[in-house]
Amino acid sequence: MRANYQVNSGVRFQMLSNDQLQEMFESVLHLLEYTGLDVYHDEGREILKKAGAWVEGKRVRLPSYLVKDALAKAPRSFTLWARDGNPKHNIHIGPGRAHFGPGPTCPNFIDVETLERRLYVKADVPLVAKVVDALPNIDFCESLGTVNDVHHELGALYEFAGMFPNTSKPIVAWSYDRFDSAGIHEIAVAEAGGQAAFEKRPNYVHYCEPLSPLVSTFEALDKLVFAARHRVPLIFTPCPIAGGTAPVTAAGIVIQGAAESWMGLTLAQAIQPGLPFFMGGVYSVMDMSSMILAYGAPELPLMMAGITELAHFAGLPLWQTGGCTDSKTFDEQAIIEGSMSVFFSALTGGDLTHDVGYTESAMTGSVFQLAAMDEAIGYSRRITRGIEVNEDTLAVDVIHNVGPNGHYLREAHTRRYYRNEFWYPKLCDRRNYEEWEMMGQTTFKDRTVARVQDILSTHQPSAIKPETEKVIEKVLAEAEDRVKEK
Amino acid sequence: MSRLYERISTAILEGEPEKAADLVQKGLDQGLVAKEILDNGMVVGMGEVGVRFKAGDMFVPEVLMSADAMQAGLYVLRPHLVASGVKLIGTIVMGTVKGDLHDIGKNLVNMMCEGSGFQVIDIGFNADPEKFIEAIKEHQPDVVGMSAMLTTTMRAMAHTIKAIEEAGLRDQVKIMVGGAPVDAAFAERIGADGYGSNAPAGSDLARKFVGAA
Repeated sequence: MRANYQVNSGVRFQMLSNDQLQEMFESVLHLLEYTGLDVYHDEGREILKKAGAWVEGKRVRLPSYLVKDALAKAPRSFTLWARDGNPKHNIHIGPGRAHFGPGPTCPNFIDVETLERRLYVKADVPLVAKVVDALPNIDFCESLGTVNDVHHELGALYEFAGMFPNTSKPIVAWSYDRFDSAGIHEIAVAEAGGQAAFEKRPNYVHYCEPLSPLVSTFEALDKLVFAARHRVPLIFTPCPIAGGTAPVTAAGIVIQGAAESWMGLTLAQAIQPGLPFFMGGVYSVMDMSSMILAYGAPELPLMMAGITELAHFAGLPLWQTGGCTDSKTFDEQAIIEGSMSVFFSALTGGDLTHDVGYTESAMTGSVFQLAAMDEAIGYSRRITRGIEVNEDTLAVDVIHNVGPNGHYLREAHTRRYYRNEFWYPKLCDRRNYEEWEMMGQTTFKDRTVARVQDILSTHQPSAIKPETEKVIEKVLAEAEDRVKEK
Repeated sequence: MSRLYERISTAILEGEPEKAADLVQKGLDQGLVAKEILDNGMVVGMGEVGVRFKAGDMFVPEVLMSADAMQAGLYVLRPHLVASGVKLIGTIVMGTVKGDLHDIGKNLVNMMCEGSGFQVIDIGFNADPEKFIEAIKEHQPDVVGMSAMLTTTMRAMAHTIKAIEEAGLRDQVKIMVGGAPVDAAFAERIGADGYGSNAPAGSDLARKFVGAA
């Protein structure tokens, strides 16, 4: 037995010092107390006022004790559950754990057969969910697109209805309004076995997006209120653009974004104390020549590292961003930008890292980018898992027994460890030239496409309950009825 | 009966030397023919190992355990095979060429070849051409295997093959080469009969040479 022995079990990464984080933390509290946000939701303002917020017209300012109280109420560690009870599909949120998944709402999609860019349609949803279900390093599901071929108010609902039966990994659901949210919730609760069962084992997370700078929109808060009342874990994620809708400096965008998230936090905790809450979201630069929000810029992982460290300093999990690219196609730029950012997300411990599979600056979703990033995430996770040091891993006796000019391939020690100590690529090629030639001289891109198509033709996600299928049909029929005059 | 063949095959596939030896003994005790235990049980198991390794479903440490299981079975079987006049599928003379002290790669190929039914004569590392020639004369092998780890020592393979030619022994043996810097083009250039990119590929090649693949 050892005493006073320090273990660093993974790769350590910290950018900001505790002093810097404290200064940023105080600055967020200052912004909320002195500047405040415009809150476009009457009931939300009432609830905040009753909790102790200062309200003048639409402007809501939060005394710092109120924010600290909300931070204290929100849990840092909790579990998001697989709908089918598969423990491998559960997500345990907590310090030092990074998780990954796609993003929502791209208008376009790379067709899985023709590999061409076209509008995202309803039939794409189950395909994305299936691929998510099969990829070992993708932990949660979003759809990579906005469904274009249904009634324009029902895209989010059809999206959830298409994802839910095709993956048992936890889903992050967005919605247009609280009607969508109610429909989505009805489906998830049916599978969980009632509201009480759902509260114990939530199988989806609700995503809401406020507006930068410093606005809590009606839609964002209306959905937040619904989710909080039904105890649905919540993501409240702004998308500030440095130089456009946020300060140009990394420190400035981070504190503004945190203030936007914490208004949502304060409201959510006032409604439902203890509600799991992720602050967010997507922080990057406005490219000053193309005017786009750059998804492949180095400032994105840098700013994400900053907001992640601030979130963890404040005791909240973070809705992170990575694995995305500005490239229009599945090329070297896509792989470089995506791989660098997922590695950074893994290093910083982004609790839920989304937008994996975004191409063309979030205009086009690609399951090929997603599958390629699954490989990059596996690679990153092996590095962040670090080096385990103990008597058995030091292998002093094994080295002694093998001796000079022996070999280790036959050692029980080797057999015991080689599967876990080494990471095995699924897409990167390590064969010799002749074998590679014999197997058709494939490129990384060829192998990625083949893997996706193989998953789509062979992978079988676990089924939902028959009664949940009926609920999905009912919810969709009711929704169609609701919007038929619109 | 076939159930026992299947169990032997499984013991080899799963790399369980003791179990393989026990089951082979059990087969002999039940009066099974040694050659049939070899062909219907052990070789079937080792064949599956090769298939899985190539598909990426098995890795080298597991393949070696299977080779060990094969050897353990053969140890029990060999006296019976000899008694009934059955020969092993062939003999291989194997060495790392002159100037090269690397031993491991060659040892792995040896293990795999023994596992797939060959008798292997290991002449060690830093073996000069004369040592290869003596071994060929003494053991009359079907196959000669040469290994080199370095770009500086791989040339010694060419010298060794030339010496075997000059000794008038080239027609008696098939020559296979391997090692990190070696590839198929090099093998052809120096007049070898074939090249194996790794240990299982080496034993496959040897089996092909003797018509057992």
